Order: sequence, then C-alpha cells, then structure tokens
Amino acid sequence: MTMTDFEAACEDVSFTGNARDALGRFLAEYSAWLWGCGATCVRIDKNVGRIAMTYGYRADVAVMPRHVTVCLSDEGGSVQTYTQRVVKAGINFDINTELSALSWSIRDGKLSLDDAEKRFRTIVGQLYVDNFHILWLTSLANASFCRLFGGDAAAMGVVFIATAAGYFLKQRFLRGKMDIRVFFFLCAFISATLASGCGLFGWGTTPGVAVATSVLYLIPGVPYINAASDMLACHYLCSFSRFADALVLTASLSLGLLTSITVMNNCL
Amino acid sequence: MTDDSIISWTVFFDDALFSAMAAIGFSSISHTPRRAYILCAVAAAAGHLLRFLLTMPGGIEMNIIAAATIAAFIVGIIAVFVAKVIKVPAEACLFPALLPMIPGLYACRAFEGFVGCLSNLDETLFSHNLYLFMSNGMTCGAIVIGMTIGANIPIFLMKKISFQVTR
Repeated sequence: MTMTDFEAACEDVSFTGNARDALGRFLAEYSAWLWGCGATCVRIDKNVGRIAMTYGYRADVAVMPRHVTVCLSDEGGSVQTYTQRVVKAGINFDINTELSALSWSIRDGKLSLDDAEKRFRTIVGQLYVDNFHILWLTSLANASFCRLFGGDAAAMGVVFIATAAGYFLKQRFLRGKMDIRVFFFLCAFISATLASGCGLFGWGTTPGVAVATSVLYLIPGVPYINAASDMLACHYLCSFSRFADALVLTASLSLGLLTSITVMNNCL
Repeated sequence: MTDDSIISWTVFFDDALFSAMAAIGFSSISHTPRRAYILCAVAAAAGHLLRFLLTMPGGIEMNIIAAATIAAFIVGIIAVFVAKVIKVPAEACLFPALLPMIPGLYACRAFEGFVGCLSNLDETLFSHNLYLFMSNGMTCGAIVIGMTIGANIPIFLMKKISFQVTR
C-alpha cells in the first residue's frame, strides 16, 4: 500500500486528526497491549515495524517500565512521537497470537487501518474469565511439580487442594482489584498453611516438599524468561523492569511462605 | 527385563508425564491458545526428561545449569517447528514448555536465606544464611539465563519461521 492509498483509506474512517496521527496512536496502543500481554521486545519491534512499513513509515519503539513510545518517521525525515501507558493485561499468549496475526493481515493488505482498528478492539476486548478449567489445571500442574520434586501421593493431594484454594483466592482478589503484591503474599500464605496439613496430621513422608512446592504456581516464570530474552536482545531497561517486577512478586510470595512456616512452627 | 530397568523406566515415565501435566497447567494460566496445549506438553516432557537424564546420578551427572541450557535448546527447536504447525508465535509454545524447568525452589530458598541474614546477627548463622542466599540466588539466575539463551538460539537461527508463523 502506498502513502497515497493510506491517506485515501484513512479519509473515510472515524479517526480524528490526520492519517499519520491515527496510525501513530494505533501503533502506540498496539505496542502497549503487546507489552502488557507478555510479548518480548523483539516481537513488539518486529510487529510494529511491519505495520508501519506497510503504510510507508518507519517505527522505532522505546519500551519503558510504565509506558511505550513509538517514533514514527517518514522518508522526508519528519518524526512524530506517540506515547501510551502500558496495559496490565496479565500474561496472555492468545492475545499475543491474535495481535501478531493482525500485523501480518495488515502487511498482506487484507485489512485497511479502519478494519485493523476494529479487529484490534475485538481482540483486546475479549473477556478472559479465570474459569474452573484453569483452576483445576493449575492445581494439577502444581501437584505434578510436587511429584517432580520428590513428593509422595499424600503430598501431591494436599498440594492440589492448597493450590486450588490459593488460586481460587487469586481469582477473587484479581476481580477485587487488590494490590498484586498483597494478594501474592496472602495466596502464598494460605496455600503454604494448607500444605502444612501433611506435617500436622502426619500424612505421607514428604511434608517439607508439600509446603515448599505449594506456592510454586505463583512464581512469575514468564516475566523471568521475558527479562532474560530482552536482555539478550539488548533491551536492558525493559529487561530490568520485567526482572524487578518478577523479583518483587517472588519476594511477596516467599514472605507469605515464610510467615506461614513461622506461624505453623509456633502452633506445632 | 530386570527389576532395576523397570524402576528406571518408571522414573523416566514419571518425569516426562508430570512435567507434561505441569506444562498444560501453565499453558492454561498464560492463556495459551488451546490448540497448543498438547504440543507444549510434548515439548516440556522432552526438555525435562533430557535435563533429568543429563543430571541424574550415575549417568552423565552434568551441572544443572549446562543441562538446563541444553534441554531448553531442544525445547526451543521443538517449539519453533510446533509453532509453524499450529500457527502460534514460537514463544507461546516455548514459554509454557520451559516453565516446569524454572528454578522456583531456588528462588524461594534464596529469599529464605536473605531473610535469615536479616534476622540472625550471630556471625556463623549470618554467614550460613548469606551462603544460602548467594548460592541459591546465583544458581537460580544462571539457570534462567542459560535456559533463555538455549531456548532463544533456535528462534534466532530460524527467524523466518519464528516470526512468520502467524501469517
């Protein structure tokens, strides 16, 4: 699509301002959502660059801890900057997949900017309810973790229940908009306390494994991997930001675990 | 077949089965497209089993950091090809498959050591907790970096596949 085509395509859409502004704002929001759902900086760069190039622009993306900035430049050297606050959407590879596919649809000329905007709204507007199947799959995953670390059947059963209770609370706290660090602490505390049942009632021979693995479903694994990925791609600021976020959450859940261990030891 | 070999095969089967189940659980938390669940599980089972084989006592007894890096490289290769089949970004298959190998226990133990340092002024106890903090923290960090390097090599070597799968 040439520049003229793009200008023409944008004339009959509902964006305010000129076509370039519409594209810039779209790209900034697109980047903020990609960042928010856990895409690596390399993917954000590539997807945004691909869309901008389709319309004859060059896009440079700066990903900061709380906002994303897209610099849109044309062949004439004129540069405009668009900033958008990052969206805290939680890790969501489904949105990541859909947004990546959207960038290719635009690149292949299957969508005008207007249609792309509509599809973008549909993708990010999808409701991801933390439903029952996620609850039991997570509990099963953590019980499997317990087994991988040497836990016996009793420990696995207790970890399954402790995880189900903790994750159920997490879902409720997320709906209640509670501070993420506080509910990580509370969920870890509840899960570890329930998992102490193994030691308290003498179930099985691996009570220590049950307590230690009961909180592993809270470990922010994807942010840790993303941080290392961004570091390898020389996006040091973003890498450090993701690492610091993950570290704070790990500290919160570890504090919950330690508090539970202290309380239960005193009770015993 | 001897009793010993039966026990070994059971241990390998257990490792693969439970890491696959863990990967499916983590795929669901990360809202990975459902068509990717089973293939994530296969990649996770292959990676975790390989790491287990490389580190198991009486076998190669490789250091866990090197073993995790090699296992993540294999998971990365599987993820890139799987991503092409089911048309999802390579990371969407790769990350849930890597999560069973994330050293969560090391991270918790490192923090435990840190709290131990703050709550024990006695020099011997402080030194012991500092050792726990540094040892677990460094191992945890090195494993995550090693895994990420290993997993990203196939993505960057096969860029054309990795970044065009959703086309």
